[in-house]
Parts: sequence; C-alpha cells; structure tokens
Amino acid sequence: MAKEPILSARDIEIQFTLRGKVLKAIRKCSLDLYEGETLAIVGESGSGKSVFTKSFLGMLDANGSIVGGSIMYNGTDISKYKTEKEWMTIRGKKISMVMQDPMTSLNPLKKIGKQIQESIELNQGIKGEQAKKLAIEMLAKVGIPDPERRANQYPHEFSGGMRQRVVIAIAVACRPQILVCDEPTTALDVTIQAQILDLIRSLQRELNMTVIYITHDLGVVANVADRVAVMYAGQIVEYGMVDEIFYNPWHPYTWALLSSLPQLGVKGEDLPTIDGTPPNLFYEVKGDAFAPRNQQALAIDFEEEPPFFEVTATHKAKTWYLDPRAPKIEQPKSIKKLREQMQK
Amino acid sequence: MFKYTVKRLLQSLLTVLIVVSIVFVLMRCLPTDYFFTDEQQIKFSDEQKHDILQAAGLLDPIPTQLFRFYRGLLHMDFGESRRIRTGVGVWEIVADKFTVSMRMGVTAMAISLAVGVVLGVLQARQKDRLMDHIGTVYTVFINSVPTLVSYSLVLVFGARVLGLPSLYSNRNPGQSSILPIACLALTSIAHYALWTRRYMVDESTKDYIKLARIKGMSNQSIMVKHVLKNAFVPLAQYIPASLLLTLAGSLLVERFFSVPGMGTLMTEAIQRYDTNVVQGCVFLYAGLGVVGVFLGDVLMMILDPRIKLAGGGETR
Repeated sequence: MAKEPILSARDIEIQFTLRGKVLKAIRKCSLDLYEGETLAIVGESGSGKSVFTKSFLGMLDANGSIVGGSIMYNGTDISKYKTEKEWMTIRGKKISMVMQDPMTSLNPLKKIGKQIQESIELNQGIKGEQAKKLAIEMLAKVGIPDPERRANQYPHEFSGGMRQRVVIAIAVACRPQILVCDEPTTALDVTIQAQILDLIRSLQRELNMTVIYITHDLGVVANVADRVAVMYAGQIVEYGMVDEIFYNPWHPYTWALLSSLPQLGVKGEDLPTIDGTPPNLFYEVKGDAFAPRNQQALAIDFEEEPPFFEVTATHKAKTWYLDPRAPKIEQPKSIKKLREQMQK
Repeated sequence: MFKYTVKRLLQSLLTVLIVVSIVFVLMRCLPTDYFFTDEQQIKFSDEQKHDILQAAGLLDPIPTQLFRFYRGLLHMDFGESRRIRTGVGVWEIVADKFTVSMRMGVTAMAISLAVGVVLGVLQARQKDRLMDHIGTVYTVFINSVPTLVSYSLVLVFGARVLGLPSLYSNRNPGQSSILPIACLALTSIAHYALWTRRYMVDESTKDYIKLARIKGMSNQSIMVKHVLKNAFVPLAQYIPASLLLTLAGSLLVERFFSVPGMGTLMTEAIQRYDTNVVQGCVFLYAGLGVVGVFLGDVLMMILDPRIKLAGGGETR
C-alpha cells in the first residue's frame, strides 16, 4: 500500500444538535481510501457508518456539522466546504452515493429516463436528445432489458431490484471516482442482493471506481470487499484487509461481531449476542467505548482510550490487548473456528 | 380510462339527481301556508287558497309532483319564480346573480391561488425563519378567528382607512367589489399557503430529494423541478371543486356586503318559499360540487402517473 490515498479523512469529528443537546456522532475518525479498492465499513446501527461517509459528500442533515479534522480530496480539504455551491463541484461528479431504499429514492412523478438524463445534463454538459440517448445507454448498462421502452416508464412500474439498478445508473451516470453504497441491498430480496452486488462490481471495474460499502451484513463484506473497517460508537476500531479481519481480528468488538455470525452457531444452542448497548454519545466517552460490554476488559480500558496498534502493515486495531505490556489474551474460540471454517 | 370516465360521469349525474330529489321532497313537506304572503293569507278565503294551490299543482300526491319535476329537469326547465321576481324564469334570475358571484369568485380565486401558493413556497423555503413565521401567524389567525371578525377588520380598514365603498352597488361594480373580493381571497390565501407549505416540506424530506442532491442538483432547481411539482399534485385535486364553488358565491361575504349574488338569492328564496328558485339553486350547487370533484380526480390522474382510477385489472 505504498500508493497515495485518493481520499484521506483525518480525525473527523461530527456533531449533531438535538433539542439543545450535542451528540458526538463521530469521534476522531480517520480513514484512507485508495484508488480502485473496495472498502467495507461494518458496525451496528448507530455506530456512525452512514454519517461518516455522508460527510464526504456534504450530505449531513441540517443539524449536523463537521467540527474537527480534515478530509483531503484532490488536494483540497473538503471538510471546510460550507456552501452548497462548493459541494456541487464534488457531489455526483466526483463522489456519488447509492442509498438504502430504492422504493423511495426515485421521484414517483418523473419518468425513469428523465431522472437519469437530469444527472447527465447536470454533470457532463450534454443536453437534450444526446443526454437522453446516454440515459438509455446507462439503463442498458445496469441491466434493464428493453431500455428504450423502460426509460419512458415511471418508478412504480419497476420492481425493487430494478429501481435499485436505476438508482445505481443515476449515481454512476456522471462517472464518479468514488461511489458510496449505503446498505445498497438491505431493502432487497436475498435473491436480488447478489445481482446488485455483481452489478456494482462490474461497473466498478468498467468505470474504474473506488467503492465504499456500508453494511452490517458480514456475508456481503466477505463477498465484495478488499478492505474492511469496523466502526463502533463513532470510531473506527479496527481495519485491515478482508482476510486479516476475518482470520486474525484483534479488537474485542470485532470478535464479538464475528462470533455472532449465524454460520458459527451450533445446532440447539442460542446464537451468541453482544450484551448491553452502545454508549450514549450525548456524554463524553471515557477509555475504550466498548469496555463496558467486554467481559475481558482490562482495567486500563476504562481509564484511557487506546491508540491504534499495528498488527501488520495494512492491519491496525485500536485496543490495549496489542500493547506489549498487556497480559496475554487469546482470541476467542469462535474466531479460531471461523478461521478453520473459512479455510476449508 | 374512457370507461371509467363515463362511469364516473353517470355516478355524478345520479348524485345530483338524488340531491335535488331529496330537497324537492323536503320542500314539498313544508306547510303550504308559506305559499302566501301575510296579506294574501288574510285576503283569500280558504276556498280561494285551495284553488290557487290546486292550480299550482301543490296538492297533488308527492310522487306525481316529483314526476312532473323530473320531466321539467329533462328539459332543464325549473319553471318560473313565484315570489322573488314573479313570473320570471328561474334560469334568468339565477343567471343574473350568477354572473355577479362568478366575477367575484374567479377574481378572488385567481388572486388567492397565486398569492397563496407563492406564500406557501416562500414559507417552505424559509422554514423556521421570519417569512415562515409571518405566514404561520397569518394562517393561524385566519383559521382561528371567526370569519365575521376578520371580515369586519377588512371592512373597517377598507372603508375607514382606504375609503372604499363598504356596500356593493350595481352602479359601481368595480370599486365596490374590492372589499368582498379581499374577504374571499383572504381566507383562501391562508388555505393555499398552509397546504402548499405543508406538502412542500413533506416532499423535501423525502429520499428522492436526497438522491437529487447527490446527483449534484442545486437547491433551487430541486425546489422547482422536484418539490414544487410533486407538492402541487395533492393540492390540484381540490382546485376545480373550490373554483366551481366560489362561482356559486359565498353566503357570508355576499350577505356582509349585500352583494346580489347566488348566496343571497338562495337564502332569500328559502325564506320566501320560492320553491322553483330553491330547486334551481340546489341543482346548480350540487352540479358544480360533483363536477368539481370529478374534474379534480381527472386532474390528479393526469398529473400523477401512479393513479389509475380505472379500478382493478389494469395495473399489477
């Protein structure tokens, strides 16, 4: 990984103001993104996966803002962008996004072709008939049969999977460098999921895009990702190549997450779950945010926030377990079991 | 689509027929004493009264009268007025009043639609800022204060401060219409602003607006190309009906400014037992209402491709 990252977020802090109270949704989160890779961000609901990546497009809700850190992209710190006008130089053209629910992501009163055309006209400077032709091409590219006829139809005439294809067509119509997929398959039928993932992968190869997947489906991660970042309570706690995260994880939260994979369950036994709830981010978090839910937590976990420790050049984990002074701690049995299963 | 339209039209006709029939029967159940003025009551002997009622056909059994009424209805003939302008055809009277009401109604409607929608758009764009608050205070005021009070305020302001005529007069229809139109518009502006704002705020939080932003559209063009059009659809459904009903005049405003329009005609006709005129008015009101709702549905169908009113079979 000697390559320069194309996007580099450093110590990003994001706050939301809710009824006069301040919620720290993202607490000093850093991430590098390399050209052409597929990065998966995993974590439970509310861990800040979406918020973190939305900040790359300036798509935070009105009551949220980036209060610290920097996001370097093409030599500019885009986290300092304030106006919509500035963001419009990035959005759609350079960084685009596919949202979770295709059923509501399209304007119900506009023809499919028109909605794609809009995106092309905005970002490629092509107008009218030619843009329409490109829109139809785009529909064909995302695997919609009979695109000419389909372009004249309305969203309600499309199934969920088809609509997600259209949303993807809109998102990649302007050939962005980075595509953020925010749980692109969560709302879809399992049989359709694989098709959509395949589609994103082939578009990624064809258009040479970098893709960020946000998901809590570890199956999807194993399928598509090159690298994985695990998020917990507004921070990335561990990241590494996909094999490293699945075979040799070190953060206790990653352990807990992987141990709850249903594939590891033993017939007749309850599936393992993670006890407790994530910390309330309205309050300052002391030490390791996961410590209260970690049965093997060290005393220092409650006192001081751990730094990142290097496992390999590409694999880092934010846990005191990796400190040379820490007592020797074994990875849990289930992780070993997972390793055996996956190597089979 | 065609089949549906025809079916809906027939249903509408039936609705109007039922309404006028009920009103007809109710009118015929009233005691016939009202048929005569106080003076006539004293002047005529019982026998004479009986003869007059007989000649007017009011003593026939109700089904016979109803049948006669239907026959007239086929030719759109409601007979003549008996009391308001004796011997003049109902249509002639109604047409006279109708033009007055219509002129005011259409002007007020045009003003309120334009001002109301613009106000609503401004409010939605400036949500939770000054413009929005001003608009909200206005709509809340109009909706919560009794109409008579706000009309009085308009009257006082218009007549005292601006020196406009406070009563309608046929000799000066232009100037003397200003205050009644202002009153009519005042309430509907609040109505349109409220709903435009509401639907626009609703639409602008939807996911497809987010996607439009992700595409790189500016807020300005999102508002125009996505939000406004979609917010207008639910509003459009009510426009034909409210347009047609403003044609029929407003009871309150017309009374308040003594406008000789449909509203005053109707009340007067009821008070003076001018059954034929009442029938004509009721027919007109019912017809306008039903046609308005029907046109609203058709308009919706044109604007929103998801709505197929055909019912069953055609979609999915």
